[in-house]
Amino acid sequence: MAGPEPILEVSGLVKHYPLTRGILFKKQIGAVKAVDGVDFVLARGETLGIVGESGCGKSTLARLLVNLEKPTAGSIRFKGEDITRLSGRALKSVRRNIQMVFQDPYTSLNPRMTVGDIVGEPYDIHPEAAPKGERRRRVQELLDVVGLDPEYINRYPHQFSGGQRQRIGIARGLALRPEIIVADEPVSALDVSVQAQVINLLASLQDEFGLSYVFIAHDLSIVRHISDRVGVMYLGRIVEIGSDEEIYDHPTHPYTQALLSAVPEPDPEARERRERIILSGDVPSPTDIPSGCRFRTRCWKARERCALEVPPLAVPEEFRRTAGPAAHDSACHFAEERSVVPAESPPLPGEEPREERA
Amino acid sequence: MLLEVRDLHVEFRMRDGVAKAVNGVGFAVDAGETLAVLGESGSGKSVTAQAVMGILDTPPARITGGEVLFRGQDLLTLKEEERRRVRGAGMAMIFQDALSALNPVLSVGDQLGEMFVVHRGMSKKDARARAVDLMDRVRIPAAAQRVRDYPHQFSGGMRQRIMIAMALALEPALIIADEPTTALDVTVQAQVMDLLADLRREYRMGLILITHDLGVVADVADRIAVMYAGRIVESAPVHDIYKAPAHPYTRALLDSIPRLDHRGRQLYAIKGLPPNLMNIPPGCAFHPRCPMARDVCRTDVPPLYEVVDEGVSERVSACHFWRECLHGRS
Repeated sequence: MAGPEPILEVSGLVKHYPLTRGILFKKQIGAVKAVDGVDFVLARGETLGIVGESGCGKSTLARLLVNLEKPTAGSIRFKGEDITRLSGRALKSVRRNIQMVFQDPYTSLNPRMTVGDIVGEPYDIHPEAAPKGERRRRVQELLDVVGLDPEYINRYPHQFSGGQRQRIGIARGLALRPEIIVADEPVSALDVSVQAQVINLLASLQDEFGLSYVFIAHDLSIVRHISDRVGVMYLGRIVEIGSDEEIYDHPTHPYTQALLSAVPEPDPEARERRERIILSGDVPSPTDIPSGCRFRTRCWKARERCALEVPPLAVPEEFRRTAGPAAHDSACHFAEERSVVPAESPPLPGEEPREERA
Repeated sequence: MLLEVRDLHVEFRMRDGVAKAVNGVGFAVDAGETLAVLGESGSGKSVTAQAVMGILDTPPARITGGEVLFRGQDLLTLKEEERRRVRGAGMAMIFQDALSALNPVLSVGDQLGEMFVVHRGMSKKDARARAVDLMDRVRIPAAAQRVRDYPHQFSGGMRQRIMIAMALALEPALIIADEPTTALDVTVQAQVMDLLADLRREYRMGLILITHDLGVVADVADRIAVMYAGRIVESAPVHDIYKAPAHPYTRALLDSIPRLDHRGRQLYAIKGLPPNLMNIPPGCAFHPRCPMARDVCRTDVPPLYEVVDEGVSERVSACHFWRECLHGRS
């Protein structure tokens, strides 16, 4: 990959959870293939959005990236070093650099700890990050950075709204000055108006601290606002990955097209112009992944070949010669460009481009 | 008119004060019509729905005023028993979280069949047959086999279909759906909304959709009522509200929806937080967050003004300056 240096390289990442039968003599009878061969590269200062429906393995991927889980196979290289093989002190020092922001601001903050203790807790684990006497001041600075009143340091989580709690979670993620933040559905528990505030905050923090983000969400429109590149996951694998324009304006994988077309559109006129693909059925169980292409059981294009051959995540042959935006990695034997998002609609009447920040 | 709610007031008495959750809400729904009630958390949309259904927890809640007229009869003055009869036959509710709304230790067939046994006096066998029939109607594949399954054996989308089947069982005239697709994935959301729209057409039901996401209901709804701090601040046909909102809160809400076709990292964000319901600001409740606020907004509660646009009047707005908002001057 050309361009800026990669900060995180993930290759062949697999996480299977064994299913066993028997109490004394445990016998493995299968596995939940939560993550089943994921590759991507994250460049410094970049935001990679990962989208997919529930059960596609995106949260397991997040937990693997921050080393909360050990992978079954594959590697995660942080600045060239494979962090899945590290342990002890070396692992601890890498962990400082990859922090996580969780989805649910109601359950990810300990209700018995004050905000100051929550945000300052990373310093207990990594005391070298801040000398004892300075911690309180650091925590207050962090609260200020995420747009909370530093005076709130002695309050408890229940005294805050959902959006404010998510800001506390972000402040905690920032405490160790990490280089990468993995955010797992950071705004999906929030109201629309508050969602926008938190997204804008994440964007401005990225500029301020030069952070790289892996932003995991199920909402394609949110992901578009924050991501430089987007990967679409289905049943443990990335099925299509590319720049924002490549994925949203020139998707070639049928699953991406269906996902895009299903995003609710509030504008009645844009809705009429848009094509809707409604997928039948549900996502198959990750214990029993279909042979060949894993999307074939819900795909309207599936043919015999799809059941036999696993499509690789690569630029499909028919697009290889053209240098256009359709030439990006897509794991489909019958990839076809199809635009499902109508061209940018004119702004609402009376609406000027807004530059307001939360 | 199938359902008419007039000047509904609901309070919650808490240890540290009184939260005014619903403050004079009024709306009407006719047979075959769909009304979407749009609002953020704490706007009073779910409390309104629960008050209409008569399933508020009292205490702490208390209905302090208003009327809920179902086919002209005020449900609030009825005795609990009578009310239950009217409700059972006439209206039904679909909840957000199907997994916790269904009984985990009864098969779905038993839960669906129970409706017919209790309300229609059917035998267990006949009730089972009706349950299969209902599951077919909400397009659950292999209904005859799956009728014995338990809720946890179904996917989220299928569970929500079972909730819909339960609501349909007694062929109600009105269905209230509280965030029916919020817990579902986008591809499944579309399936479930389509099903609701079809069923409404087929049975000519009135439908009230409670939601925080305009995008999800825009296809199905005829009218939208936007709630803020326990009041309806704007109500209009769905096309009009999107094209030209007549209340600054509606406009701000529309602007802050992330859009697939809009690139760029800055999203419009409404400044500040929704008000504390124990301490609603004087005047217009939205004034501390409103870009258009003036002195009068801080003192005078805006009435629901009739919005006359190009000689047509089908909408109302609780903004002193709805004209300016409608015509885009802010």
